[in-house]
Amino acid sequence: MIDSERHPYVEYIAREARRPVVIDPAAARERIMAAVRAEPLPRRRSVFWEHIVAPRSFTLSPVASSLIAAGLIGIGVLAGALASNGSNRDGRPPAGQGDPVALGLPVSDTVVRFVFVAPNAGKVSLVGDFNDWDETRAPMIRADKDGRWSVTLPLSIGRHQYAYVVDGTWHADPSAPMTGDGFGHMNSVKVVNKGSTL
Amino acid sequence: MSRLSFAWHRLIPRSLGAAALVLVGLTSLTSTAPLAAQASDPLVSALSKMDATNRFTIQTIMDSARAIQLPDAPLRSRVLQGVQKKASAGQIVASLRQKFNLLRTARTALGQVTDNELDAASAVLEAGGKPTQLASFKARQKGREAVEAFTDLADLISRGVPGEEASSAIAKLWQDGADDATFHSLWNNVQADISQGLNPGTALQNRIRETPAARTATPQSKPPEGQQENQRSE
Repeated sequence: MIDSERHPYVEYIAREARRPVVIDPAAARERIMAAVRAEPLPRRRSVFWEHIVAPRSFTLSPVASSLIAAGLIGIGVLAGALASNGSNRDGRPPAGQGDPVALGLPVSDTVVRFVFVAPNAGKVSLVGDFNDWDETRAPMIRADKDGRWSVTLPLSIGRHQYAYVVDGTWHADPSAPMTGDGFGHMNSVKVVNKGSTL
Repeated sequence: MSRLSFAWHRLIPRSLGAAALVLVGLTSLTSTAPLAAQASDPLVSALSKMDATNRFTIQTIMDSARAIQLPDAPLRSRVLQGVQKKASAGQIVASLRQKFNLLRTARTALGQVTDNELDAASAVLEAGGKPTQLASFKARQKGREAVEAFTDLADLISRGVPGEEASSAIAKLWQDGADDATFHSLWNNVQADISQGLNPGTALQNRIRETPAARTATPQSKPPEGQQENQRSE
């Protein structure tokens, strides 16, 4: 093919390609720098973060590792003690705590009110199989000047043995059936059914 | 003299050692929590203060009870009660052994009953009732428990009502379908009469006639022989 036979469009392209390129160095630098400035800077991590995440190696003696392990065990024991505190083995709250009547809560089907008359007593507690016979767990409150002491407890349905501890001395409830305690004295018995009160 | 040293920790790569340490820590956290909870159990605490012989005896009795499916709660309660009453370890063991035997005898007399019934029945035996007297309660209606009946029976016997009279009267009421309120009302009246000086046996016989179940009893449901004789003798 000779030049005279070229297509005018091809001729136009060839003419444009032959034209020398004129570059203004200053303008080019400006454009490049503008483009660079337009790019966001990469976020730089803080020194503190760098310090934390930086990998490092350390040595631990057998004594130190034993101490750390002992510390972890201690934390476990503490956590277990805290978890078990405030609930009985069966998961119920300790008797005397969370008194539904005192807290103004609706009375459930198995709430039982215990009343004992002891006009001259200074301190009266309710003990029973429901609180492991621990006199610190269900202290009774003097209800009036007639010497009536009372406490209201949520009890599970079933048969419960109990007694009152009046100034350190155990007494059976005269208004409830009695049963031997196995140590030469008598306890009282409360059979709790649905809707029981005493 | 050559110095012997064994750098065991150099044999284990550090990363493996650290991982093992973390594992030990996590295991401690999960495994010691139940142990701590057990340590706060009053029974465990009470046993830990006893001498080895009595502690072993108590644990053996408790284990034996579990092995023959006797209820755990009455035995546990007996031990804790003894501790709170400041009974000696020997007294606690004796009391626990007695309770175990009573529960076992009650089970033999009654067969499979609920834990509450078994505990209440053992209280009847403890009060002086006989296993044969419990057998009257063996025939039972579905869904009905004799806990209140046994509780009132044990109380009446301990107040001086003759065991045979008390058990036959209460068993008769129970077989006639008396409810818990009837038993409790009967007990309340009888104990009030006894408190006023009435003979315990007479108090029971007087009050048993007033119970709704006795009033509505059919002619076929005659009271036991012993009871009839007592009524005639009044």
